[in-house]
Amino acid sequence: MLKVDELTKNYGDLVAVDQISFEAGKGTVFGLLGPNGAGKSTAINCISGLLRPTSGHASVAGHDVVSDGKAARQNLGVVPQELALYEDLPAIENLRYWGKAYGLRGAELDSRVSEVLDTIGLVDRAKDLPKEFSGGMKRRLNFGCGIVHKPPVILLDEPTVGVDPQSRARLFDMVEAARDAGACVLYTTHYMEEAERLCDSLAIIDNGKLIAKGTVNELRAKLSARDVLQLNGTFPLDETRQAVDTLIERDDLDLEVITQEEECVTLTLSRASQHLPDIFAVISNAGGVVTETILRSPNLETLFLLLTGKELRE
Amino acid sequence: MNFALTSFRKDLSRWRQDLMQTAIWFAIPLTVGGLITMLMSGDGAQPHGVLLIADQDESFLSVLIAGAYSAGDIGELISVEKTTVEEGTERVNAGEASGLLIIPAGFGDAFLDAEPVTLTLKTNPAQTILPGIITDVTEIVLDAGFYAHQLFGEEINTIQSLVDESNDAAVAAIAVAIQNKIEVVAPQLFPPVINVEIVGPPATDVQVSLALLYLPGIIMMAVMFSSNGLASDFWVERDHGTLRRLVYSPGQLGSFVIGKALAAAVVIAIIGGLTLVLGFLYHGVSWAKFPSSLVWVALSGVALFSWFAALQMLFSNQNTASVISSMLLFPLLMAGGSFFPLAVLPGWIAAIGRLSPNGFVVDKLTSEITEVGAWIIDVNSWLIVAAAAASGLSICAWRLRSGFAQA
Ligand SMILES: Nc1ncnc2c1ncn2[C@@H]1O[C@H](COP(=O)(O)OP(=O)(O)O)[C@@H](O)[C@H]1O
Ligand SMILES: [Mg+2]
Repeated sequence: MLKVDELTKNYGDLVAVDQISFEAGKGTVFGLLGPNGAGKSTAINCISGLLRPTSGHASVAGHDVVSDGKAARQNLGVVPQELALYEDLPAIENLRYWGKAYGLRGAELDSRVSEVLDTIGLVDRAKDLPKEFSGGMKRRLNFGCGIVHKPPVILLDEPTVGVDPQSRARLFDMVEAARDAGACVLYTTHYMEEAERLCDSLAIIDNGKLIAKGTVNELRAKLSARDVLQLNGTFPLDETRQAVDTLIERDDLDLEVITQEEECVTLTLSRASQHLPDIFAVISNAGGVVTETILRSPNLETLFLLLTGKELRE
Repeated sequence: MNFALTSFRKDLSRWRQDLMQTAIWFAIPLTVGGLITMLMSGDGAQPHGVLLIADQDESFLSVLIAGAYSAGDIGELISVEKTTVEEGTERVNAGEASGLLIIPAGFGDAFLDAEPVTLTLKTNPAQTILPGIITDVTEIVLDAGFYAHQLFGEEINTIQSLVDESNDAAVAAIAVAIQNKIEVVAPQLFPPVINVEIVGPPATDVQVSLALLYLPGIIMMAVMFSSNGLASDFWVERDHGTLRRLVYSPGQLGSFVIGKALAAAVVIAIIGGLTLVLGFLYHGVSWAKFPSSLVWVALSGVALFSWFAALQMLFSNQNTASVISSMLLFPLLMAGGSFFPLAVLPGWIAAIGRLSPNGFVVDKLTSEITEVGAWIIDVNSWLIVAAAAASGLSICAWRLRSGFAQA
């Protein structure tokens, strides 16, 4: 349904999206997980036709977004990160307008609009102006406007940013409903929990590059069930490196270093809690002082840390 | 095209809620127009012209008539110079004077004997206002003379003998004094004995007064404010993200732009139409000219709207865009005859003014309102304005396609 092939977008010298490739099928949710500035919106904008890719291709339902743009757009529903509504037009008129923009007419338009109003829970407020709506209600309407023409492929760009928990839960329901109805959903987020909960498979991107790809379980497996141990404090660089090297050589520990800096050392290892006393001893013998210890069990967030040496929510 | 209508209805429905804004676009020109009309009836800055008088009669009465033009308020508008018929005709044709009044020999005697007599007034075809004023004054003077004759025939004979030796100013003072008295009794009308034969520009079915010449400029002021204001709606839609949504949807950018232009045409037609109605009522312009004037105003408004929009869409942020287009607005209004009618501006300034887009529109609208007949604007002018609208809208559509919609 959605195919992205070596997609690249430059802004001058900045490579915002760097040779990204992935594929997503019917009835699935594909996640694009990455911190702010990773290039998620840029990728979405290239697929939606708002931006022209510098190189590479994207196709929607078999239509190339550049050479066959009109057909590609007809099959695409976009829910942009920023609200895109006529705040001075009643909710129902917003839906009708965008329905017509995609060629819906007459009875088909009427039935789709009332279906969508029901889905987004705004039946009672259909005649009201969005400028009187709460943030969550506007988000829901924003979603509704993107799917009113029942597109086979839906792009959702960080739909939950700044949304109250109730609206967020409702949004998840809407995404799942669209997926169950057979849509292919591309969902970008920088919230690991959202990606884990919603996505069948996902790609992790950072600095425009795709750094990992697979189903949630495949990606978890990459961590080989290791914990991530982060030590904050002061650690003399050379002495600490030698001390850590002795730890790596020990057979009873499958330890790896993610980052080693003067104020922070991040390691990954199995059953970290059992080995904490040993590790503390070695580090302090080398002159290191630990002021804070953070121990995390394996999840996508630690995977991101493992792959990039960075926190997801920077 | 279907989507153009959808977009048209969408924009009208959105704009309908912003009545305040629309009221302001209407109120500013209305206030300015009201002020100008007030100034016109008081002592505003007024044009000045030269009336040549070829007095072949040299009687007391002919001196009285000549003096009437230099009395009071009229004297500030017109200076009177004596001349001969030949020299005067030459000077009027050369555009050096606003008019030439020929008082034939025997006029005084004919008047006193109540015999019909004809005065000839040649006016300068290149000027619009001053000849009109001179015609008005001549008619008043002659009416006054007629009533004076009816009422004070005896006294006039006496005065004639008394003032034979005095200077023009004294005669003029008496003439005005008589005229003032006459106005009180004017309601009892008798057919005038003296006719004025006007030689010059064709008679118009509208009395062209100075205030009427301001009307097209005032209407254009309303149109300029509203078209410039409406043009910023592309920026409003960009900020609301709806333009991006439009670009996501399958290729209807042209229809979208046309829909907005149609909605702008309706708003401009309403604002321009209201201003026209007020102006037509106030100045008594023939309603036969209303449809053509309204269509001209609305079409020109769309052309201005499209170019304001195109211009605003070339800038990278809305503040710059609106500052630049507002900065352009006032010089254009100034040059294009909204503050001073093109007809009273010196020739070369008026010529430049007519080249400004709104000056062009004002010039044609002035002809439509002041000349004989309706639908007199030439086909070329209609085509120019239609082409301007089409090209402006194409630029808007091109800007939408070439990245304007991106945040
Ligand atoms: N219009 C633009 N011009 C220049 N750089 C941009 C533009 N839009 C985004 N960027 C840069 O491209 C990178 C990716 O941005 P974006 O796609 O918005 O990231 P994300 O959506 O993942 O937060 C960032 O470094 C951002 O600063
Ligand atoms: Mg983003």
